[in-house]
Amino acid sequence: MKETRFPITETSLTGVQRLLSRSNLFEQLARLTTGYTPAPERELQEPSYYDYPVLKAPTWHWEIIWYFFFGGLAAGCYVIASIAALFGSREDRAVARAGYYLSLLSLVPCPLLLIKDLGRPGRFLHMLRIFKVKSPMSTGTWGLVSFSLFSGVTAVIQAARDGMLGRSWGARILAALPQRLLALPGTALGVFLGGYTGVLLTATSVPLWSRSKALGAVFISSAISTSAALLSCALRLAGTPARVLYKLERLEWAALLVEMTSLVTFLRGAGRAARPLVGTAPREHGRTFWSFVFGGGLALPWLLQTRSLLGRRSGKHTSGRGLLISLLVLVGGYFLRRTMIEAGHMSSRDARTTLWNAQKSHSGTNRSTFVS
Amino acid sequence: MAVEPSRSTTNGQRASLGNVVSTLVGSKMFPLPQQPAMGFFTDTSLCIGCKACEVACKQWNQLPAEEPGWTGSSYDNTGQLSAITWRHVQFIEHIGRRDNGQNGQHGLRSDSQAHIDQAKGEGLIPLISPGTALPFFNTDRWLMQSDVCKHCANAPCQEACPTGAIIRTECDTVYVQQDICNGCGYCVVACPFGVIARDERGDHRAHKCTLCYDRLKDGMEPACAKACPTDSIRFGEVEQLKARARERLGMLHERGVHEARLYGVDDNILEGGLHAFFLLLDEPEVYNLPENPQRPSDTVVPASLWTVVAAMLLGLFGVLFFRE
Repeated sequence: MKETRFPITETSLTGVQRLLSRSNLFEQLARLTTGYTPAPERELQEPSYYDYPVLKAPTWHWEIIWYFFFGGLAAGCYVIASIAALFGSREDRAVARAGYYLSLLSLVPCPLLLIKDLGRPGRFLHMLRIFKVKSPMSTGTWGLVSFSLFSGVTAVIQAARDGMLGRSWGARILAALPQRLLALPGTALGVFLGGYTGVLLTATSVPLWSRSKALGAVFISSAISTSAALLSCALRLAGTPARVLYKLERLEWAALLVEMTSLVTFLRGAGRAARPLVGTAPREHGRTFWSFVFGGGLALPWLLQTRSLLGRRSGKHTSGRGLLISLLVLVGGYFLRRTMIEAGHMSSRDARTTLWNAQKSHSGTNRSTFVS
Repeated sequence: MAVEPSRSTTNGQRASLGNVVSTLVGSKMFPLPQQPAMGFFTDTSLCIGCKACEVACKQWNQLPAEEPGWTGSSYDNTGQLSAITWRHVQFIEHIGRRDNGQNGQHGLRSDSQAHIDQAKGEGLIPLISPGTALPFFNTDRWLMQSDVCKHCANAPCQEACPTGAIIRTECDTVYVQQDICNGCGYCVVACPFGVIARDERGDHRAHKCTLCYDRLKDGMEPACAKACPTDSIRFGEVEQLKARARERLGMLHERGVHEARLYGVDDNILEGGLHAFFLLLDEPEVYNLPENPQRPSDTVVPASLWTVVAAMLLGLFGVLFFRE
C-alpha cells in the first residue's frame, strides 16, 4: 500500500519519520502481526466472478456490538465477583458486592438488544424450541437464559444481605440462601457467556472470523479486562481502600496481557483474512483498530498499569491515572467488538479472500481430489 | 413467498392419533416417511443464459422482482442469489485471460490468434486492455451458470439455525419453515456459498430455494428444471443424477473438453457433498464457488478449547491475586 493519505514528499522524510508517520506505522504493524504483505497485483490475478461477493454480508449491526460489550461485562463482573467471594478476604466482599450488582445491571440490556436484532422480534421465544450443540447461537441463548437466572438470584441475595429488601421474613430467607454455592455454576455459565460470542463468530463462513480459532479466547479475556476496569472504576469512585483495588488492578493487568497474546495469536492465525481488521487501505479498519483497540485499549493501559503497580511499592499512587486506565480499557473493549463486527462485514464482501480461504491447500479437511 | 407445504396425512388412523398427540403435547407432527434424496444437476456446458429458470422460479414461488439496475461491470444484472432470487444465471465473460498464455490448451488456435492480432493491428478491432468491461469484439468464450442453493448433505445453515426452522425434508432437501424462522441471521453468515439471505425489505425472515417442496409433494419437478429449455438443469434422485453427471463428464472429456469438471459430486465438499451439484468448464473460483469451504460447525470444538484455555489462565491469575 502506498501512503497516499499523507502526501509528504519522499525527500523530506528520514527513515525514523517515515516509520512514525501514523499510517505507515499501522501498516507495518499489520504486516508484522498477520505475517501477510498485501500483493494487489497478484491478488487481482486470482479468479473470481467480477469480485461480486461470494458470501452474504452479516445481518448484525450496532445491537450485536453493544450486546457483545454488555454481555462481556455481565459475565466478567460475575466471574470476578465470584473469585473475590470464594477466595478473597473479608475486605474483598466489596468487590463481590459491586461485581454481582454490576453483572445484573450490564445484563439487563442484553436480551433487549438481542430481541431488537432479530428480523422478527415477536418470535424470540422460538430460540428456546430446541437445544443444538452444534449451533453456538442455540447454546448461547440457553447459556444467556441460565446465566440470567444465576446473575439475578445472586444479585437479589446480595441485595437482601445488604438490607436493601427490608427486614421482612422473605428478605431474611433470601439472605440465608447459599450465595457462594450458587456462584459455582454461575461462574461456569459466566465464562461461557463471555467466551461463546467469539466461538459464535468463529463458526461462520466469514474469513476474518472463522480462519483463526482464537477469537473466543480474545473475547473471554476482553470480558475479564473490561469488567476489571469497570469494577475498579466503580470502586475507586466509591472510595474503596487501595489494598482492595490493588488486587483488581493486578487482575486487569494480567487480563490485558492474556488479551494481547490472544489477539496477536488471532491475527497471526487469520493472516490475509485479518486484513479488513488491521489494514490501512480505504474501508479497512486498521486505523481504529490500532489506535483505539490495540494501542489505546490494550498496550497503553497495560503500560500505565505496569507503572502504577511498580510505583505502588514506592508509595506513589494516583487515582486519576487509575480512572484513566479503566476508561481506556472500556473504550478499547467496545471498539474491539465494533471493529471486529464491521471488519467482518468487509471481509464477507471480499470475494477473492473468501475463495482463497476455501482453497484445498488451506483447509484442514481432506477430500478426495478431483483436479483436471 | 413460498407456499407452506400442507402436512395432511392420508392415513386416517394416523391423523386421529396425531390429533390426540397434538392436543397432549402441542402441535407435534409425525415425520413423513423417508424418500430418496432429490436434487439438481446443473450442467453449465449446456446453459445458454436464457434466464428461463430465474423467471420460472420467481413466478412459481411468487417472489417479488429485484430493484432493476445495472451492475456496470457485467451483463449479469441479477448479480447474486438473494432472499427473493433463488436461481441466478451468471454471465462469465472470459476476457483476455486466454491471451496471456496461462492456459495454452484452452486458448485460441495460433492461426486464429494471428488473425485477430492482425485485425487489431489494422484497427479493425478496437484495442481493449484486459479487465475492460463489455468486450464486444473478443472472440473468447462465455460461461453461463445457473446458480442455486446447493442443498448440502451437511448444510451449515441447518446446523447453525437455533430455532429448528431449517430442516431436512423427507426428500433430504434443506427447507426453511417460515413460521418458525425468527430472522436471527445466523444461517446467513454460516452459508459458505452466500445463498440464504434475510429479506430486509419484506418479512425479515431467511429465505432460499425450497427445491419447490410444494411441487415435489405433488410429484412435479421444480419450476426451474421444468422451464430449462436445454436441460442444463436436471432434477431427480441424487444418486442417479450423480451417475449421469459422471457419464456426461466422461463424454465431454472424450470430445476434448478437458477443462470440464464436476463440483460437489465426488469431492466431498462440507464432508458430504452437495445435493445440487454442477458440471463446470473452469475452476470453481471462476464461478465464485469456494473450492473446499470449511464446515462452520467443525470450528466449534477448537474455538471452545482455546476459550477454555484462556479462561483457565485468567481464573488462575484471579485466584492467585485474590488469595494472598
